[in-house]
Amino acid sequence: MKTKLLVLAAGLLLSLNAFAISLHDAKSQGLVGEQTNGYLGIVKSSPDASALAKQVNAKRKSHYQKIAKKNGISVAEVSKMAAEKAMKATKKGQFIQSKSGKWIKK
Amino acid sequence: MIALLALTGCTPTVKIEPPDKPIVINLNVKIEHEIRIKIDKELDELLTNDELF
Repeated sequence: MKTKLLVLAAGLLLSLNAFAISLHDAKSQGLVGEQTNGYLGIVKSSPDASALAKQVNAKRKSHYQKIAKKNGISVAEVSKMAAEKAMKATKKGQFIQSKSGKWIKK
Repeated sequence: MIALLALTGCTPTVKIEPPDKPIVINLNVKIEHEIRIKIDKELDELLTNDELF
C-alpha cells in the first residue's frame, strides 16, 4: 500500500513536468473547457491541448471510478455531478460546454 | 336495567388487527440522500486538485 502511494505520488510529480502546458494556463488561454460529462474538452485544437486533456481526463476518470465504487453508484452519475460542480467553479472568461454541445465563454 | 343498557352501549370496542403482510419501511430515499452528500464532499475535494480541475 505504502509503495503504491509512493509510486502514485512520484507519478503525479513527474506528470506535472510532462505537460508542455499547465491545466490552468490551458484553461485561461481558452484551449480547453469543461464539458457536460465531467471531462475536459478541447476548445481550440492543438497537440498540447489534446495531450493535456487526455492526461487530465484519465486522472479524473480514475477518481470518478473510485468514488462511484465506494458509494455504489454509477461512474456516469458521479461524473455528471462533477460536471455541474466544475462548471460552477469555472472562472469568468474560461469555456464551458452548453447542453447542445457548444462552447460558451463564461 | 336502563342504566346497565346505557353502560354496555357506551363501552367502546377497539379492535386491533395485525396486518397480514409484514410492515415494510422504505429508507432508500434517506440513504440516497446521504450518499449524495458524501459524493458532493468528495467531489469538492477533487475540485481543489489543480491537476484535475
